[in-house]
Amino acid sequence: MLIASTLDDALAAVAAGARPIAGGSDLVVGARHGKAPLPASLVAIDRIAELQTVTETADGGLVLGAGVSHHVIETHPVITGHFSGLADASALVGSPSTRHVGTIGGNVMNGSPAMDTGAPLVVLGATVELRSTTGTRTVSIGDLWTGPGRTAAAPDELCVAVHLPAPPPRSGSAYVRLEYRRAMEIAVVGAAAAVTLDADGDVASISVALSAVAPTILAVSGLTGLAGRSVADVAAAAAEAAAEQARPISDLRASDRYRRHTVGVMARRAVEAAARRAAGETIAVPVNRALGIGAVAATPGAPS
Amino acid sequence: MTVTEPRPTNDAPRPRFVRADGPDKVTGTGRYTADLTLTGVLAAKFRYADHTHARITRLDVSAARSMPGVLAVLTADDVPDVRYGPFVQDRTLFARDVVRFEGEIVAAVAATTAEIAQRAVDAIVVEYEPLPVVTDLEAALAADSPLVHEGWESYGSADPIVRDRNDASFSSITKGDPDAAMAAADLVVTSRYVADASHAAPIEPRAVLAQWEGDKVTIWTSTQVPYDARAGVCETLELPANRVRIIVPHLGGGFGGKCGFHYEAHVAALARAARRPVRLVFSRREEFLAPDRRREGMVIDITTGLRRDGTIVARTGWIAIDNGAYTADSGFFPQLAAMHVAGPYRIPNVRVEAHLVYTNHQPSGSVRAPTAPQACWALESHTDELARAVGMDPVAIRKLNAVDTGAEGPSGQTYDEIGLQQCIDAATAAAGYGGELPDDEAIGVAIGWWPSFSAPSGAYVRIDGDGSGQIITGAQECGTGAVMTLRQLAADELGMQPEDFQLIYQDTSVAPYDMGATGSQTLFNNGRAVVAAAGQVAEQLKQLAAEQLEASPADIVLADGQAHVAGTPSRSVPITELAGIAAGGELLIGHGSGQPPGAPPLVGSSCVGDVGMAAFIAPQFSCHAVRVKLDRDTGVARVLEVSTAHDSGTILNPVGAHGQVEGGVLMGIGQALTEGTRYDDDGRQRNAAMLEYKLQTCADAPTIRTTFIEIPTPDAGPRGAKGLAEAPNVATAAAISNAIAAIVGRPVRQLPMTAERVWETIADAAEAAAQDGVAS
Amino acid sequence: MSQSLDRDLVLTVNGIAYPVSVDHGRNLLSVLRTEVGLTGTKEGCDDCECGACMVLLDGQPVNSCSYLAAQAVGREITTVEGMVRDGELHPIQRNLLEEGGVQCGFCTPGMIMSATALLARTPDPTDEDIRIGLSGNLCRCTGYAKIIAAVRRTAADLRGE
Repeated sequence: MLIASTLDDALAAVAAGARPIAGGSDLVVGARHGKAPLPASLVAIDRIAELQTVTETADGGLVLGAGVSHHVIETHPVITGHFSGLADASALVGSPSTRHVGTIGGNVMNGSPAMDTGAPLVVLGATVELRSTTGTRTVSIGDLWTGPGRTAAAPDELCVAVHLPAPPPRSGSAYVRLEYRRAMEIAVVGAAAAVTLDADGDVASISVALSAVAPTILAVSGLTGLAGRSVADVAAAAAEAAAEQARPISDLRASDRYRRHTVGVMARRAVEAAARRAAGETIAVPVNRALGIGAVAATPGAPS
Repeated sequence: MTVTEPRPTNDAPRPRFVRADGPDKVTGTGRYTADLTLTGVLAAKFRYADHTHARITRLDVSAARSMPGVLAVLTADDVPDVRYGPFVQDRTLFARDVVRFEGEIVAAVAATTAEIAQRAVDAIVVEYEPLPVVTDLEAALAADSPLVHEGWESYGSADPIVRDRNDASFSSITKGDPDAAMAAADLVVTSRYVADASHAAPIEPRAVLAQWEGDKVTIWTSTQVPYDARAGVCETLELPANRVRIIVPHLGGGFGGKCGFHYEAHVAALARAARRPVRLVFSRREEFLAPDRRREGMVIDITTGLRRDGTIVARTGWIAIDNGAYTADSGFFPQLAAMHVAGPYRIPNVRVEAHLVYTNHQPSGSVRAPTAPQACWALESHTDELARAVGMDPVAIRKLNAVDTGAEGPSGQTYDEIGLQQCIDAATAAAGYGGELPDDEAIGVAIGWWPSFSAPSGAYVRIDGDGSGQIITGAQECGTGAVMTLRQLAADELGMQPEDFQLIYQDTSVAPYDMGATGSQTLFNNGRAVVAAAGQVAEQLKQLAAEQLEASPADIVLADGQAHVAGTPSRSVPITELAGIAAGGELLIGHGSGQPPGAPPLVGSSCVGDVGMAAFIAPQFSCHAVRVKLDRDTGVARVLEVSTAHDSGTILNPVGAHGQVEGGVLMGIGQALTEGTRYDDDGRQRNAAMLEYKLQTCADAPTIRTTFIEIPTPDAGPRGAKGLAEAPNVATAAAISNAIAAIVGRPVRQLPMTAERVWETIADAAEAAAQDGVAS
Repeated sequence: MSQSLDRDLVLTVNGIAYPVSVDHGRNLLSVLRTEVGLTGTKEGCDDCECGACMVLLDGQPVNSCSYLAAQAVGREITTVEGMVRDGELHPIQRNLLEEGGVQCGFCTPGMIMSATALLARTPDPTDEDIRIGLSGNLCRCTGYAKIIAAVRRTAADLRGE
């Protein structure tokens, strides 16, 4: 194993066939469960300083190094304040230890349709920066995932950063997940929403994406026509569209029928929470626990 | 009677009880079985069945045997041909001819590393002829069902066991004339409830380490029942008891899952064949699949006849219990389940029948209050249906019908002083039952009961020359603190402090017999033994003190580390000084066992398949009141608060007692909402991993308030104590069910009441309401 | 400087450097329990679900069952055995005992490590902070109430209250 201290060393190792490893949880657990043997050649990228940074761009956007941990994301004031949906998601990943070890780059490149950060990244318009020894390219997050556990990255490409554009004024985002327990869950279904409000408090733009109801994170389509409608109308329409467009499977965690229903509920709650944030309300991260939704039954707005 | 004040556990006064084994456990110096090793130790791995029901047509271990690093490969041919089992002798160490569940052991390997052992296991060639798989309980009882055990009639079994084909143990309780009473009732309510199987899931996976020296074997193992484990090794490997020594290092939890005889003989046989120490450590997946200690799935039909005023006049019940492929200690389950479906109620006319049904699932065995949480969940959910049917408050219908001091229970037992009615009052008061709640919240109430188990048990107590003491006991500590509390009993007998004693325990070759950490019986029975043993030493000390103080032994009092003359505390001699004198002469050694309390009489009832479970010795009672919040859109239920009241007799160790209730409640919440084993059509577990079998986390834990109704109970344990470890697990799921039903309007009829099942129930209720609307 | 590692690693555990020689892909847990010889850290599952294997890596909680030993090179590893200082129990150890937060004890080492990490980043935690902070550590015995009480009391002790 190579413990890389510079990006160039890591890229050279990846070009030579090494598999990058950050926290390693997915890879090590997968190997122990016989999913895939641990690759013979590994390069540890968790000590590369430039992958650990959170940088605000001049126009209000954000660059997250691929090695930024979920713990940093869930506690970073700029992310919790302006990219709240992503912070909601990172705050729900696994346990405190998983959140310290797990990184945004690892989450994105693992490509699980049940990943929590995927849906908020989609609604926030994220792009992923892939780099190899021969160059750099940027891929929109929606184009990155090609199937469960598969990405459009070439074998020699390393995800080095996730870019988030500046959120528009009067906008807000949220990620809501269905949880059977209040912690240590994997998304049965989840939904992220980004909402921009107009001067009247109606919806100017809306974007919704769903976890765990399709082979990849699913962006809900056909919502553009909702501009100008009230938050309540948009939330209801988004819920209906989410349930309709979902292509869920039945497995141990839920039936397709239940997933289809609950993903609509999660979409509605995500839109409502995102709209409240867009209106300037501070709702703590993660919104699941702050509002008592998802794992905790409650009327939205009533802290449990 | 004294009632301890209800108070939030978290506000309890700072406790004084610090466990004797605590420093080992918080520093990481305490050793659990998997922490042990020996020079030259080999790793053991098992080859499990590839089918859930199949005839083995070829078994070839030659390739495995010839692999470098492999020192032993064993199959049924390499061990004595012994069928064993406490109730039905239907089991062998290794599969013989037929495999009957996915965790059945076909072969075992010992090799220099775990990796080599696994490769050898994989190199074993087994060919099968598949047989029809039996998984449905009702179908399995049909006359034309395929048999799980073709040769069932040839098996030996314990005397009271009534068997027929796939019915491994049938039991019934009958009292009065239930058919006539039902026909005369104002109202008859019938319900069906189905409980999925679940798991004990202690955090420590089991481990076994065995070493032979000459013709004697020492086995370190993570068992709750060292003497049972020894008996199993002796029986299956045909060894006398005094050549088998079982030692249990610290045990990382059990909850019944580590009761019974498991893999000690396999590892001992491997060690004998390899002529090296051998160690087995289970993975979490093996922990789920292999042991014969799954909590049993059940199908429960209950019919109750009532008068309009809510008085219960008759009850009938039919129960099918999933035995799985072999009969572990489940032979007594039918009668116990029947008692729990009859319930702690005054019912003059009763008939409950229960079947223990063979299937090709993992075998069932005692997990914390076996059969009770499921049966109580069904009965108490049904009881709320009764309340709705007659338009009564659920608490009022329980108060009206529940047993009380001097009342006769459903099996014809008349109870001495008991505190069930007080439990109902205390738990509902602590919960604020009857107060205003938001419309997505409700408080559900359920009552439960559980017997104390009377059994022989032994201990030695000795005081050495420096005045320090040792309690040498056959009892087993699985975390509850029951063994830890023995120090207090000895100290009180001898006027010493608990800290003056060390505990020597969990070793079958140094201490007398005890049944082990099972049936909540440790303090109940071993407490008696320790009191008796300490009492002998006390007599010796009094004799010595009498000589020193020139008084009569009858006038000597032991207190505060001194022996003094009654009424004259100044005439005293330190116990340490007496110990020094004894060390030069007759040593201070006591031994004790005492007479276990006998079973109370039953009047007016008759029992088929009577294994002694219809008479509850020193019965424990409880009431749980649980406040639940429900997300109607998703069916996700969350338990916000649990208020419990328990009559477990005198509480000897309040810190430990509260801990038992809190742990039992949380396990009950898991059973209620998230813990359930899912099977595929072949009877294989689909969620044999912690990620998919969801224990409650710290984030889920509600506030738990506990009140103990302390009634010193005759014919019970020391100072009127009853058992406690299992009772808190009985009523929680039932109370949660009733809270959910109160919000939804009808009960969820399958356990666990997962979010999806709750949501389906809500949808069904809405559909029914819509149809009612159409009809009217 | 990037560092290429073969079988020979040096792990720093509780302030002591241990040279070990292990195969590629060995997890930190098994190396701690076998080569390093510290068995206080437990294995309860094998997929980051139970938290019995929790250790601190440069002060942060890590499930050692799912972390490669090689990745811990150059970092300070703390296990439960490193909690006793100068023969004194750490307040979290003492309070777990006095509050009754220990039953079978198998989850206790991992619980101690998670609690230590929690209190380092949140010295004055709410009960909800404690519940979430310990949510990666399963306990089957206690129902968590007395563990939460012990952590609450430890927070006060460490703040000098």
